[in-house]
Amino acid sequence: MAPEAILSHLHRADGSATYTHNGYCIIGAVNGPIEVQRRDELPEEATVEVNVRPAVGVGSPKERHLETLLHNTLRSIILTSSIPRTLVQITLQVRSLPEEEADCGIDSSLAILPHLLHTSLLALLSASIPLSTVLTAALVAIPSVSSSPLISPTANQLLRAKPIRSAHVFAFSGEGKLLLNESDGVFSLQEWDEAAEAAEEVCCKEEGGVGLGEGMEVDGKEGDNLDAWLREVVMDKVKWETRWRGAK
Amino acid sequence: MPREAEISLVERDFIQKALEEGVRLDGRDFNAFRPVELTFGDEFGVADVQLGKTRVIVRVSVDVAVPPPERKFDGVFQIITEFSPMASPAFEVGRPTDAEVILSRVLEKAIRRSNALDTESLCIIAGLKCFALRADVHVVDHDGGLIDASCIAVMAALQHFRRPDVIVEGEKAIVLSAREREPIPLSILHQPLSVTFSYYEEGNIFLVDADLAEEQVRQGEIIVTMNRHGEICQINKYGGAPVDPLDLLNLNNIALQKVKDMSKFIQQKLDEDAKRRDAGGLMAELSAENAR
Repeated sequence: MAPEAILSHLHRADGSATYTHNGYCIIGAVNGPIEVQRRDELPEEATVEVNVRPAVGVGSPKERHLETLLHNTLRSIILTSSIPRTLVQITLQVRSLPEEEADCGIDSSLAILPHLLHTSLLALLSASIPLSTVLTAALVAIPSVSSSPLISPTANQLLRAKPIRSAHVFAFSGEGKLLLNESDGVFSLQEWDEAAEAAEEVCCKEEGGVGLGEGMEVDGKEGDNLDAWLREVVMDKVKWETRWRGAK
Repeated sequence: MPREAEISLVERDFIQKALEEGVRLDGRDFNAFRPVELTFGDEFGVADVQLGKTRVIVRVSVDVAVPPPERKFDGVFQIITEFSPMASPAFEVGRPTDAEVILSRVLEKAIRRSNALDTESLCIIAGLKCFALRADVHVVDHDGGLIDASCIAVMAALQHFRRPDVIVEGEKAIVLSAREREPIPLSILHQPLSVTFSYYEEGNIFLVDADLAEEQVRQGEIIVTMNRHGEICQINKYGGAPVDPLDLLNLNNIALQKVKDMSKFIQQKLDEDAKRRDAGGLMAELSAENAR
């Protein structure tokens, strides 16, 4: 299943997106560029602030860890030097998690990371924050029994494939460069290579890439990758916003 | 952190003049709510309320905990409200604004202390184990009327929520999963709802459900919480201007009508949702709820 996204649906935030995929539903909002507090102000670049808020309860060290990862990744794609002495505030509210999330056998922060990355990117695009490139991310899980890695698995698939030996999250830029890698578990270098290749294929392979789920059809095209999906989402948004051009 | 942008003098004058002439900016009646939308998630206990442009999501969740020693036969029930910069950049994480403090205080009084939820039914083993229920209030979009919207969302989520069933054998309690036994609805004693009145012109004009611009212009607010039987749970008045006692009685009558309509609306939405879930018509047989 391709992810679903709704852009710019909140009224107060400068940019917003709701992203739903594999049972994860996340609302993202971006305010920026706005006034920055004195102590956070950087003279030559913008300050990026990421807030991750869990569905239940208040933020814990897990959310702080995710915030750090997101902050570092997003700061590398936001053109911070073009909006110096301002603040870009990204808030991500987890709305729902898949039912089997707690016992799917991999670190829950890894499982949610690609979804958080996609949500924040969509919200940044919706807020028209200057970006140097886009990003796509995927989770790859390697089960210990069968050798074929699971790419962007659902929580249910993970539950069935238990035990999982290692899990990896890869994020790639629009040019196909690796932006982020988080790995957990026991794996060899060769396995990591395979996982990275598989993730790259899902994220940004140009031609003949393997889509999310075999035989997936989006508007008649078979096997779309995440990069194409992202383009489609943005294209729909631009089409909607420039619909006045067509009106006679 | 930027401050909330204050409304300009021109806008302020305009809104006030219009109110004097009996017109609201969006053309609503003085005693009318904005259109309300209530949707439930796939899980139990998630309610998404949209009141005009304001949007509040409440999620109710349950955990097993040790009851406080001074209340051995009670469960724990908490309502947590935390604003995020999503609703407005003026809301800072970890530093509650006045609006946030007032909201959590009002919800506490309106729902928790009015005993809307029978906390004794959350007890599993007296003094040892109980259910700890929490309602997380997420304000997603802020355009005034937060208290009314949150109250609707919390009550709807509580009525929608199902807690897992337990088997108690002596000192041991087994919590049954949803697959083993159908979860049970909470025992709710009454359904309090809030209606916020904003007043202008030294209490000559009262508005129901003011939006953010109207809230910024008002002299003060009166929050009336009552259930559909007309039992008042609380009346709160914030703001300095005096209000005629007769007006207050009048407001209670308006509030009662609004609360009745809203309760009916929530019940209708709950029924719709129950029908959607009860596709095979097996719900009545599966139910593990004890008749009261």
